[in-house]
Amino acid sequence: MFKNNGGGFVVAEFAIALPLLILVMYGLATVSVKIFALGKSQLADYVLESEAQYVMEEVTHIARTAREVEISTSGGQVKFVYHTAADKNIIESTSLNGRYVFMLNDVLETQYFMLYEKEGRNSSNLYAKRQDDGTYFNPITGENYFGDTKVNYLKCAVNEQKKILHISLEMESLVTGRKIKLDTAVYMPSYKAGG
Amino acid sequence: MNRIKFVLRNERGFLLLNVVFLTLITSFAAMILINAAPRVRNPQSTLRLTALYLANEQFAELESLAAREDISGSQPFLGDKDDLKSNNLSEDNPIEFKVTTNVSGGRAVVKVSWQVGGEDFEIETERTIRVVQE
Repeated sequence: MFKNNGGGFVVAEFAIALPLLILVMYGLATVSVKIFALGKSQLADYVLESEAQYVMEEVTHIARTAREVEISTSGGQVKFVYHTAADKNIIESTSLNGRYVFMLNDVLETQYFMLYEKEGRNSSNLYAKRQDDGTYFNPITGENYFGDTKVNYLKCAVNEQKKILHISLEMESLVTGRKIKLDTAVYMPSYKAGG
Repeated sequence: MNRIKFVLRNERGFLLLNVVFLTLITSFAAMILINAAPRVRNPQSTLRLTALYLANEQFAELESLAAREDISGSQPFLGDKDDLKSNNLSEDNPIEFKVTTNVSGGRAVVKVSWQVGGEDFEIETERTIRVVQE
């Protein structure tokens, strides 16, 4: 009646062990996917924080020595003009987004502006351009491999009486949707109202 | 019963496959735990950064004030009051920062404190306030 090869017992073993194994593997796979997703979002948050800090450091550093500050009415562009020991007797003009900016001999300037339109991308990055960069300008935020970001706004306001520039920056991670807002102020001892 | 006894008598320890599976599962679990350990999210770094820029704002205001008049003693927060509230921890959990300042002998000490979940946090910064002239 029974064959003495233990075949029935093995089938019963498998009937219990296989679903258990599948359950355990499924659980482990779910946990590992969650952990890797958490790691990814943490990297993205780190990139966001680091980029926001970099922008703030750069803008405050440049603003400290600024003689003039020009802020566009839309708020997407801010220009700092300061005096340096550059070559004299050079007068040049350059075009930026259709605007002509005239620059004089010993005056150098750095501009920060947001470009919203770029091929294959509709979020805004912050760009920096120094006068002596020629026609080149470079993005200083966004398109990081570990997490893309966008600049929601960079608001600058000058209190002419106090010679203080108030800076507000909000950036958002395109991976996690998390926002970071940093506010600070810079005292500009060389600032001259009206240039 | 005789059949079971027969089968058990013929068992010769674990199969190689059992051991391989067990090793795989335990190493997988260990790897996950090792990965997960340092990834407990710590929001304090963002709040510390916000607090540091707030302290810098106060220093800038103090420098500006010092250029116009003599300052000493305790000072209120001179910057934009809206900056004292931050949503950097999360959108639905705004954090209120408190800034206390004391100026003495040209040195300013700015303390920025905040609370998260009933726990107090604080950064303390100190700087010389010089009157800067072009």
